[in-house]
Amino acid sequence: MTRHALVASVLLSSGCYVGLDAGKASGGAGADDAADSGGSDGGVPASCEGRIHPGSAPLRRLTRFEYNNTVRDLLGDDTLPANAFPSEESGNGFGNDAAAQSVSSLLAEQYATVAEGVATRVIESPDRLAALAPCTTAIGEGSDAASESTCVRDLVASLLPRAWRRPVAADEIDELVALYQGVRGDATFPVGVAAVVEAVLQSPDFLYRVERGELDDDGNLRPTGHEMATRLSYLFWGTMPDEALFAAAEQGELSNPEGVLAHAERLLDDERSRPMVRFFFDNLLPLQGLSQLERDPVRYPAYTPQLGASMREEAHQLLAYEIFEGPGTWTDALTAPYTFVDATLAAFYGIEGVTGDAFQKVEQDGTQRLGLLTQAGMVAGTIHSNETNPVVRGSFIVQKLMCKAIPLPTGDVLDQVKPPDPYSGDTARDRFGKHSQDPVCAGCHRFMDPVGLALENYDAIGQWRDRENDVVIDARGELPGIEGTFDGPIELARAIAGAEATQTCFAHQWASFAYGRTLDDDDACTESHLADAFVASGSDIRQLLLDLTQTDAFLYLPRASEEDP
Amino acid sequence: MLRGAGSIAIALPWLELMGEGRVARAATAAKRFISVYTPGGAVIDDGNGENRWRPTGSETDFTLSPILTPLAPIQHKLLVVDGLAMASAQGEQHQAGIIAWLTGTTQQGGGYGAGPSIDQVIANRVSTNNPMKSLQIAVRWGTGKSHGLLHPINCVNFEDNGTYSPIPPRLDPQSIFDQLFGSLDPTDSADFQAKLARKKSILDYVDRRFESVSPSLGAADKQKLEQHLDKIRELEQSLDDVVMPTAICKLPDEVDTSDYNPTTGLDSADDGSIADVNTDEAIPKVGKFMMDMLVMALACDITSVASLQWSDTEAKHTFPWLGLDQHHHFYQHDGGFRPVECEQIYTWYAEQHAYLLQQLDAVDLGGTTLLDESVVFFGTELAQPPSHDKSNMPFLLAGGGGGLRGGRFLRNEGLADPSHNNLLVAILNLFGDERTSFGDPAFCSGPYAGLT
Repeated sequence: MTRHALVASVLLSSGCYVGLDAGKASGGAGADDAADSGGSDGGVPASCEGRIHPGSAPLRRLTRFEYNNTVRDLLGDDTLPANAFPSEESGNGFGNDAAAQSVSSLLAEQYATVAEGVATRVIESPDRLAALAPCTTAIGEGSDAASESTCVRDLVASLLPRAWRRPVAADEIDELVALYQGVRGDATFPVGVAAVVEAVLQSPDFLYRVERGELDDDGNLRPTGHEMATRLSYLFWGTMPDEALFAAAEQGELSNPEGVLAHAERLLDDERSRPMVRFFFDNLLPLQGLSQLERDPVRYPAYTPQLGASMREEAHQLLAYEIFEGPGTWTDALTAPYTFVDATLAAFYGIEGVTGDAFQKVEQDGTQRLGLLTQAGMVAGTIHSNETNPVVRGSFIVQKLMCKAIPLPTGDVLDQVKPPDPYSGDTARDRFGKHSQDPVCAGCHRFMDPVGLALENYDAIGQWRDRENDVVIDARGELPGIEGTFDGPIELARAIAGAEATQTCFAHQWASFAYGRTLDDDDACTESHLADAFVASGSDIRQLLLDLTQTDAFLYLPRASEEDP
Repeated sequence: MLRGAGSIAIALPWLELMGEGRVARAATAAKRFISVYTPGGAVIDDGNGENRWRPTGSETDFTLSPILTPLAPIQHKLLVVDGLAMASAQGEQHQAGIIAWLTGTTQQGGGYGAGPSIDQVIANRVSTNNPMKSLQIAVRWGTGKSHGLLHPINCVNFEDNGTYSPIPPRLDPQSIFDQLFGSLDPTDSADFQAKLARKKSILDYVDRRFESVSPSLGAADKQKLEQHLDKIRELEQSLDDVVMPTAICKLPDEVDTSDYNPTTGLDSADDGSIADVNTDEAIPKVGKFMMDMLVMALACDITSVASLQWSDTEAKHTFPWLGLDQHHHFYQHDGGFRPVECEQIYTWYAEQHAYLLQQLDAVDLGGTTLLDESVVFFGTELAQPPSHDKSNMPFLLAGGGGGLRGGRFLRNEGLADPSHNNLLVAILNLFGDERTSFGDPAFCSGPYAGLT
């Protein structure tokens, strides 16, 4: 059974079409969060077998995250210099959407400024210079031009293939040596070297992942060994290939799926994959602003930036545990009867016996918390004020975690939209009552609000409450497409975890991130392949991450004719 | 492909910039454009039917409204344009509004618009000889659900190079200062010259590298590199432009902004250990510093086109200096419409805008002022916070560029076509751009009459 059979596309009388990519289908009404459109609801391919369907492979540019990691590994610069670059376009929601990436004047300017900073730090450190080329230690006052020149050539010959992630030609080395010579005229040896480093860091070969591919015996276009090494290292580590990957590329180990898989396993099981996983979830989940929530200290004295940071860490701890140590499934992450807390968070949750900053696993009784969706950070992070909002909480889960795009109100409906007054009712259910009473609103809000209303037992900083304004919170609800009803966050967490859409959506989000694209109809086969395998594996996350390297999208490149119709 | 940067610029004599012997391209064309964005409309109806934004009186004899009162000192150069509707704002209620404001195009499938913003079109006309084609600055930007990414929720400016890509604003006041004024009056030392020569060699190498990588790529990828190379060439050109201090071009007073974290909520590497030393408290100080730098960027001819953004559409910062501990969007409608608090916020924005206009007006060009040569467009993404309604947009223009006549209040009641696209065309016309349509033609019937 393919994903397309699983995702029912309902066209409701209110115009609330719910299915993958409804954001596009509803005539320009974007989803609440532009990051969640995606997937293919177009023609289901008659057959995915017997043909190669790589989809598109637009030129990818290093993101801030990847640039930081790459200069760290290439030049030992761990100052996160790319944080000075302007924000990436949200595109697919992960800031790595190749088609959305553009270059502003500011970015070009910052590429120059940041490269200068990195290069300056390199030449200020004899150790780093020596790491680039041991001969640099022998260069100093009174060195002769010939030995300098030889040394610079050595340095470029060692730096360039790593920086450009491919073998380089002699004339490519010559060009940089010539740049050095031109600069050296009125500057010192280190300054000349710095110019080389600056130039390399601004070259398209460094900033972009250029893939030309090569034809295999069947006439299909595949990434070269080095291009595949680069795909693997950026997918799993968010950085340049390591020595082992370069060696594998040289030896042709990456020209078949098995070789690719073997390295994928090595990379994933290495500690260095953790920051990538963290980056993915930071962008998928509402975690990044947790240490900087705007909350009234009088109403929420418990909230501090440190508590927010601990909330963010709690989510990452649980996810890392599931993927790398524990049961390892998305379902488990969503229904775990345990979590990870430090002393700060334990005090907030009222958990006894936890001291210090280290996070430890604690069991929970399942009355107030169960799994990721009920963690304080997950329910606080979507809220941007002192008041909870069931619409945004529900919208986040339904749109980002179930990939159901809820179109925005348009036309006549739009004229009737008025957000509720928080002072017009004791509980959110009263305040947002019109959403269920007025059929015009209910057409769409019945897909979101029940989810948010079931989470009303958590206040704006994620603290448990039974009542609001002395009225007992009614957290019952039901969701179209999910069987039965739920009462409160625990039952909601189980219902969401059990929904097929939750599994297929998770696979979709990982594929968007991994391939750095907004997936489209051409990716239908890749998507259904991944989703089916993910469901069949019982939502095994580690397996999904490895499967990402076994698709046509990862193993092949589109032929030029496919790229440029 | 036509390269935007400089290749079609008309070299104007240096004197042109010194206020003497002006040889303008068109006798009356405006020279500078400034756009100022504030979030969330105004109080068009306070719930009791009272419009707290609209002035009263006639075109030339009018009394400013409570919200606009702070602008009284500069009222003689202010043009209040009431009654226009942003018909082209089709899409998400806030996003479509901020996209349409300067582009006059609709939001495409949850993304951005389908055209350039007028500031970029103007920059291609008037700013090609400046070291910087245009300057985008934002205060306390990327708050809330955009998670610091460039998002339809927070972008005002869009490229005029066929891509219509969103242009990220500069956020860090210290790095803006360094970038704009770091080389003002450089010591004409051998060191400086050598460094300049180095920069040129490096960019020259990078330029050639782009040229050699491009040809073997597919069309879309090639175009991507072409656009990147365009920006590199802009940078190469700017190296030749040394800004010299003059009677009117001075270093702005530097401000200590160590208590302001420009990337609050934007830094994906943030582990929470960065204490946000109440960035919101610093907004007024930083905002003023940003405006000072913007004015000097124009006075020093670093650029002729500038854009200032006060946060983004669903601004999620608080206003402690006004005693407001919720964010603007909450007072607009997240928490139900709170006209009193909204009015406080809008009045404060009007105060800031008055400061900016007065600073522009204080730059004396010998008989005229910087403001007189400029067109300043003050706008927002919707009119009425409680409903997201976009008719009766609270627009302000100011300045005297291109014959713009200030000191007036245009009510526009019963206007045959109130679409604001017509206003965008009229603004372009002030710069000598003679087009009759801009943005989505479905929402444009020709230039709005009444600016001159």
